[in-house]
Amino acid sequence: MEDTAGTVKIETIKQALGAVVLEGQDRLNAAVDHVYASDLMSDVLAFGKPDSILLTGLATRQAIISAHMAEFKGVVLIRGKRPKDGAEQFARDNQLVLMTTEMDMYDACVRIAAEEGMAVTHAAAAEPESSGEDILFSNNFTIEGSDFAKAGMVSTEVKSILKKIGFDPKLVRRVAISTYEGEMNVVMHAKRAAVRLQVTPKVIEIVIDDEGKGIPDVEQAMQEGFTTATEEMRAMGFGSGMGLPNIKRNSDDLEVTSEVGLGTTLRIRFFI
Amino acid sequence: MSECRHRWEMANIQFGFVVFEKCSHCNNLRTYFSLDDTWDEYREGDCLWSIVENAQTFRFDLKCRECNHLETFQDLMGLLYCTSCLPDCEVEVVRKRYEAEKTWVLVAFGFLPQARTRPIEERKLDILSEYFNQRRDTKRSRIKIISFNLISDLSRCRGEFIHDVGMLSQEPEERKHLL
Amino acid sequence: MTTKDVIEKIGLRCLSNFEHREVEGVFVSDMLSDVMAGAKSGNLWVTVQTHKSIVPAANLVDVSAIIITSGKKVPQETIDLANQHDIAVLSTDLPSFELVGKLYGLGLVSS
Ligand SMILES: Nc1ncnc2c1ncn2[C@@H]1O[C@H](COP(=O)(O)OP(=O)(O)O)[C@@H](O)[C@H]1O
Ligand SMILES: [Mg+2]
Repeated sequence: MEDTAGTVKIETIKQALGAVVLEGQDRLNAAVDHVYASDLMSDVLAFGKPDSILLTGLATRQAIISAHMAEFKGVVLIRGKRPKDGAEQFARDNQLVLMTTEMDMYDACVRIAAEEGMAVTHAAAAEPESSGEDILFSNNFTIEGSDFAKAGMVSTEVKSILKKIGFDPKLVRRVAISTYEGEMNVVMHAKRAAVRLQVTPKVIEIVIDDEGKGIPDVEQAMQEGFTTATEEMRAMGFGSGMGLPNIKRNSDDLEVTSEVGLGTTLRIRFFI
Repeated sequence: MSECRHRWEMANIQFGFVVFEKCSHCNNLRTYFSLDDTWDEYREGDCLWSIVENAQTFRFDLKCRECNHLETFQDLMGLLYCTSCLPDCEVEVVRKRYEAEKTWVLVAFGFLPQARTRPIEERKLDILSEYFNQRRDTKRSRIKIISFNLISDLSRCRGEFIHDVGMLSQEPEERKHLL
Repeated sequence: MTTKDVIEKIGLRCLSNFEHREVEGVFVSDMLSDVMAGAKSGNLWVTVQTHKSIVPAANLVDVSAIIITSGKKVPQETIDLANQHDIAVLSTDLPSFELVGKLYGLGLVSS
């Protein structure tokens, strides 16, 4: 069971798991390349591969948003769990298949593994390239701190814009994941932020400029696992100290400037 | 009551969230079960309630497999394990005594503040212990569920709930003190 | 099959001190609430969780061992608590999905 990706139709997985489709009935013909089994959303964002299907017992909207950011095609809730807090609506709006199966995680993994050609996923891919000047496109957004209900909306918007423009889905995914992590940081750690998406012939740039408490030691904040997040943030699947490292990993260039008591600015760049 | 020697199993399992709210005005703590993830801050008279923790949990009842008798546990907020924070706390004393007999003690909480005056009945906690013991090899060890009323000073208790808060963190840290 | 067989056949690391015991079935989850509601006595519990509260949860439902996957680092507190409760804490670098394949290969079924 190494990383040799095969392809299986979502319909086949549905059958294998005896799953009930909650959203995306019309997309069961789509094929997925990998299965990712986890309740840890930071792992999904860090290691999940595009065109995967997520098996999880975490039935919150954040689980579906994470799968969407990671370019997954669908989510299967195990043990008969039902989606919560508008997870269904989010799946519908973003063309994700959402299913639920009575099987537990073990059985679900075994059944899917039994479908030939399926592969297991970990280790994300990132391929850097070069850079450019004139602004082809620019768009501004705002994020409100502590507004968990809207968390993820800006990155969803950015993602859909870039997709419409027709960028390589892999690149869009890296931008979406990075923006999402940056957005969550504002929601969790800052007061509000202005976000600018700017596209030039060679670079996609995201600037997230927040007003907030700032980061006293940026180098420390960049370390994997470093977090000052509270428990309630972690209950939502965030605050595992993987956000900034995740942005670093997914982007070609990351600049963090911060002033304690004033705020933080992230400039994240992707070379097209 | 019937002659049945009940064989318990979990029934009516519902996954949701246990919400811990504190009022910044009176500093009281209250907790409730919610099917959805809520984060609202709200006013109620002089009180301003805001959420200090929102953990994933589940609620359930116990049903006898033989006679279908149902005991509800909808008023069970969760189980806490003692971290031996206060050597003279009644829970710690009981815990030590039971540990010598290979019996592990967990502390059951009802929802606050109601449970402070109306704790979950001892009879029901015994049923809960019985459930956990029926499904384990009691020759190795046993489980004993006791009431949080035994905690000598709730405000100084540093026990930890078995619920999903740090569930998504890769580097577990000290948990927040809730009580 | 015992914990000893599983450890040897799959090559798991032992992080705590414990007595070997019979293994029955597997439960995969990173959520304590799922484990409390669903795991059965004797199950191997596969997870990436490492916080010390996995120990009382494992003890409550009487799993035969906790297997921590993806090479996650386990805090000393967790190991100390496991030693106190005679709970087996094992670890592997494999992610959960791959470990499931191997456990299935040993003939273990779900919980
Ligand atoms: N926009 C921000 N404002 C203030 N502090 C921040 C911001 N972004 C990150 N931080 C600090 O850096 C730490 C690490 O961030 P990150 O790697 O995203 O992990 P996490 O958000 O999971 O804690 C945070 O816990 C927080 O202390
Ligand atoms: Mg973050």
